[in-house]
Amino acid sequence: MVDDRTSSIKLPDLHSPPKPVIVYGTFIVLLFLPLVISTPLATEILIWTIFGLGFNILLGYTGVLSFGHAAYFGLGAYAAGLAFRYFNASVPVGIVMGILAAMVLACIIGALAIRSKGVYFAMISLAFGQMLYFLALSPLKGITGGEDGLTRIPPLDFLSFSLGKPLPLYYFICIITGIMLFVTWRILQSPFGKLLQAFRENEERAKACGYNTTLVKYCSLVISAFYAGLAGALNTVYLSYVPLSTLFWLTSGTMVMMTILGGKGTFLGPLLGVGVFLFLQNTISLITPRWELFVGGMFVVIILVFPGGIMGTLAEKFAAFRMRREGK
Amino acid sequence: MSEIPWNVIAMQLFFGIALGCIFVLLSSGMSIIYGLLDVVNFAHGTFAMLGAYAVFVVVSLSDNFFVGIVSAVVIVGIIGMVIEFLLLKPLSGKDPLLPLLLTFGLSVAIPDFMKIAFGLIGKPVNFPEVLSGAITLGPLTLPGYRLFIIIFTLVAMISLWLFLKKSDLGMIIRASTRDSLMVQTLGINVSRIWTVGFGMGVGLAALAGAIAAPMMSATPDMGVDMTMTAFVVTVVGGLGSLGGAIVGGLFIGLVVAFTSYVAGAYSSVSMYFCMAVILLVRPRGLFGEQGRD
Repeated sequence: MVDDRTSSIKLPDLHSPPKPVIVYGTFIVLLFLPLVISTPLATEILIWTIFGLGFNILLGYTGVLSFGHAAYFGLGAYAAGLAFRYFNASVPVGIVMGILAAMVLACIIGALAIRSKGVYFAMISLAFGQMLYFLALSPLKGITGGEDGLTRIPPLDFLSFSLGKPLPLYYFICIITGIMLFVTWRILQSPFGKLLQAFRENEERAKACGYNTTLVKYCSLVISAFYAGLAGALNTVYLSYVPLSTLFWLTSGTMVMMTILGGKGTFLGPLLGVGVFLFLQNTISLITPRWELFVGGMFVVIILVFPGGIMGTLAEKFAAFRMRREGK
Repeated sequence: MSEIPWNVIAMQLFFGIALGCIFVLLSSGMSIIYGLLDVVNFAHGTFAMLGAYAVFVVVSLSDNFFVGIVSAVVIVGIIGMVIEFLLLKPLSGKDPLLPLLLTFGLSVAIPDFMKIAFGLIGKPVNFPEVLSGAITLGPLTLPGYRLFIIIFTLVAMISLWLFLKKSDLGMIIRASTRDSLMVQTLGINVSRIWTVGFGMGVGLAALAGAIAAPMMSATPDMGVDMTMTAFVVTVVGGLGSLGGAIVGGLFIGLVVAFTSYVAGAYSSVSMYFCMAVILLVRPRGLFGEQGRD
């Protein structure tokens, strides 16, 4: 039924879908990233990129702003960390635990809040995120380690590769990132992906066409929680430690800033945003501990001047350039 | 558990109302801004933090707490009007999520600026001497400052209500909340009303921060928690409703006060839990209007 509508009528895409070569090309570029920048920074970029790919499905393609994505990221991190520490789980099991925990949480929060629109959802998701933060901070201190975070995670290995070393860890995460890039690309090409974009452009109209908008938004939230949980679990593998700040609202806020910076609703936006943001953060924090002032100020300027972010602005300029050339 | 003496309950009730009063001031400002500009002010707590610092600065200069409160409202109100004029106005009519994101950027940047200007450590604000005592009421000993908060909030809310109901400007504000296009058609510069409204809302946040300052001392990061509280109260009470802000604020204040007595570890969690329950029962909040969301 769904297939019928989207495939029989050829609708022009507002933003042309990414070509497969972009997906493979990006993956190949990521393979060589540790040659250019330090491996820990590159690893961090990969983890946040996975997080950002999922967040972009929700914010960029569905048009739902969640300010509580730290909840899924942090819960994924804690679930994996707890599995590693208390049950000596293997790496894949821990990661699956993180993903499942994040998705279950998204199912609950989504059921409570997905009906509320726009800014309301942003506020509610933020408040739920803080609820988790305070739960981990004090009532559940015995399990989570409270303010100190979850420590004493045993060293991990996967297929006899030690993930304690930077490079094997990088390539382990890089392969997962490649898979997630491909999965994201497939999701966006699918009828479901087209539906998401239809909702973002005009929810009333999509509803009038007979689609259950609430259900699709709900699915979009749960899918993006899958990414966040995965990223959180990988973060635990990377740090062998779960800082409490994974649940803090600023983690959600950082994700929002990265996505907007790169360009929401563009395929490579999250990757670019994450890369530029983390690079800036690393560089500025070498000079001054007050990097938030610069990052926050920069974000204000971006919202005012380039709301499309890096990719959006580039695409706009490119389109204007092509129009001018064709006009001549 | 079963044998909590009644005077303890009465004291918690009193503390809860005093705390709730701060929440009421905070979220009524948020409601005015949302009602008028359709902007969710993510930096609301940040402005409250600025209010607390303004009190600290003015009190250390003039040595008078009440002068401090008034000037905090004026200073922060003016800062808010400038920010609205320079940063928020260009975004009106665009994606409704942009103002939220912009104020979020402010809430990241401004506390860091305050850390540079005033240092990382909080600045204590002394209780005004007149109010530092306690008042004995039968078997209860009520701290004077908290009593002052309750009375002060009562006066502030009544004057706000009178202003909105009786004055010409208040009437224009109420009309613009309902239908700004219509007000514009009648020849009133609505854009200027937005600036004033934002200044007022932010001024109320500063008031909340200012009267909270002697109890918690001004720190750069105090704003985040206040923003969260304002969000929770607003979701509980209903977005854009002044009555909702009052009832929601007092309700959340009481909840926090009682949980911190019964189970201290859960005091920060309890209000979010309340919000979840309210959302289940009444998704629009207690006083949320049907048409708006």
